[in-house]
Amino acid sequence: MSEPVHPPAPPAAAPAAVPNVVDFKNVTKKFGDLTVIRDVTFSVEDLPGKGEFIAILGPSGCGKSTVLRLIAGLRPHFPASEGTVHVTGGVIAGPGCDRSMVFQDYTSFDNRTVEDNVAFGLECRGMASKERLERAREWIQRVGLDVKRDAKKYPNELSGGMRQRVAIARTLALSPRIILMDEPFGALDPTTRLHMQALLVQLWREAQATVFFVTHSIEEAVYLGDRVYIFSSAPGTILKEMRVPGPEFPPKEMQRRPEFMKFVFEIRDIIDTLQSSTRAGDD
Amino acid sequence: MTGGGQRSLFALRQSPPPMTRRLVGVGAVALIVLVWWFATSGLGSEERLISPVILPSPLEVLRSFPSLFRERALLESIAATLKRVLVGFALAVLIGVPLGIAAGAWRVIESAGAPIALFGRNLPVAALIPLTILWFGIDETQKVMFIFIACVPFVYSDAVASVVGVPDRYVETAQTLGASALQVVFKVLVPLALPDIYNSLRHLFGLAFGYIMLAELINAQHGLGYLLMSSQRRGMSEHIILILIIIGLLAYTIDRVLFWFQRGLFPYRTVEE
Repeated sequence: MSEPVHPPAPPAAAPAAVPNVVDFKNVTKKFGDLTVIRDVTFSVEDLPGKGEFIAILGPSGCGKSTVLRLIAGLRPHFPASEGTVHVTGGVIAGPGCDRSMVFQDYTSFDNRTVEDNVAFGLECRGMASKERLERAREWIQRVGLDVKRDAKKYPNELSGGMRQRVAIARTLALSPRIILMDEPFGALDPTTRLHMQALLVQLWREAQATVFFVTHSIEEAVYLGDRVYIFSSAPGTILKEMRVPGPEFPPKEMQRRPEFMKFVFEIRDIIDTLQSSTRAGDD
Repeated sequence: MTGGGQRSLFALRQSPPPMTRRLVGVGAVALIVLVWWFATSGLGSEERLISPVILPSPLEVLRSFPSLFRERALLESIAATLKRVLVGFALAVLIGVPLGIAAGAWRVIESAGAPIALFGRNLPVAALIPLTILWFGIDETQKVMFIFIACVPFVYSDAVASVVGVPDRYVETAQTLGASALQVVFKVLVPLALPDIYNSLRHLFGLAFGYIMLAELINAQHGLGYLLMSSQRRGMSEHIILILIIIGLLAYTIDRVLFWFQRGLFPYRTVEE
């Protein structure tokens, strides 16, 4: 069942000194007069042995990506104008491989073969060539590509879905604590998209990372997320936080279940009512 | 022409099939030669539409090749011209490309270089001749340095633009994968910008080849520009036409060779021609 928490209440500091994975306190980001996100507050606990899957849902241009970029430490969204952003208890100085990001745009490096793309982060760490290629091939296999057939290919020979598989492998090869995904399946066709969702769930279970997944598809958010943050349109802020059941079945099956559709409809209604109420006079 | 499957030659924005493309291209050249031939046909010079002093006939031009080749040392001139362009342009690449990459990566360098590069690109090249003569004399050094100075602002600016043109997403991806600033430059920006840089160098080489003619009009012993100049003084219009055709063919050949290398060097980036 859903337990709508409103407003998002940060859980009281755990008795053990395990800091939260991510803490946003009254975070606002402005570019000049333009406010992109306003007063965003949430925390994600560090669950031992497994990470949480946070789906950030909202209309286009509502500042969902800003949240991710603040965690990643990417300018110009980073640093925040007001409020504090803490990642594993500290303030971040800039981007790092503990917070890897997968974008909607295909960002495979054109000049590198699939295996060299996947090994990129390991190469930056200074891992020896033989070792990193071995690791890369392992990940190529795990994201469902064929090592023999695909490892030596260049990105321009790959389909969109394959490119995103490479991007996911490249990120997971570094075993980051936090994985940031900015509409990674937004440019894929519906069938490929479902395949990728299933793959992501399977990999995430093994990776034990906390995932922040930005999307504007309600189905995708409900399917993938443990929790869904619903964002209002600009200036973006969290309208509601919802706990949803995790992905127990493949996406195609899940979407046929009435419980699943109930959540989807519920969120759709929430978005409609909350948005009209904000429009009516929240300002 | 008939069925629906057949593409019309005049379909909007559709490139005709490769064979047709070539045929049409050859046809256009043939048309010009035909007009040229017609305008210069006739036995005596009075019967011609255009006098042989102004425009020799195609056949007269062709027939003058042995004398250009043997008596006027055509090959030596081609070698001299190529050497000047290659050395001057290589210098421009050696200085301009690394500077441009640095400026593309660290925009503060680009801010410093912007006014100088703008000035350099807008200076009429011919205006550089007096100064280069003053600085480097009238020998080979002057010709090489002239090419260098004329080309380096363009090489630099194109290199900057290529690096700046690499989408931010690649840089951000690399950074969140743990790449340091230097790793971003050498593992991402340089390799991704290189195909564009190479492509623009190929075009700029054509420009350099044009500039050298200017420099060779003054105190050159060999060189295609010199040959042109002395042909004009001697009133050998058929040699002038011939040299112009040779220059065109030479430039085309060089471009094709560079293009061929481009495809070999950057197989992952398909280039349109």
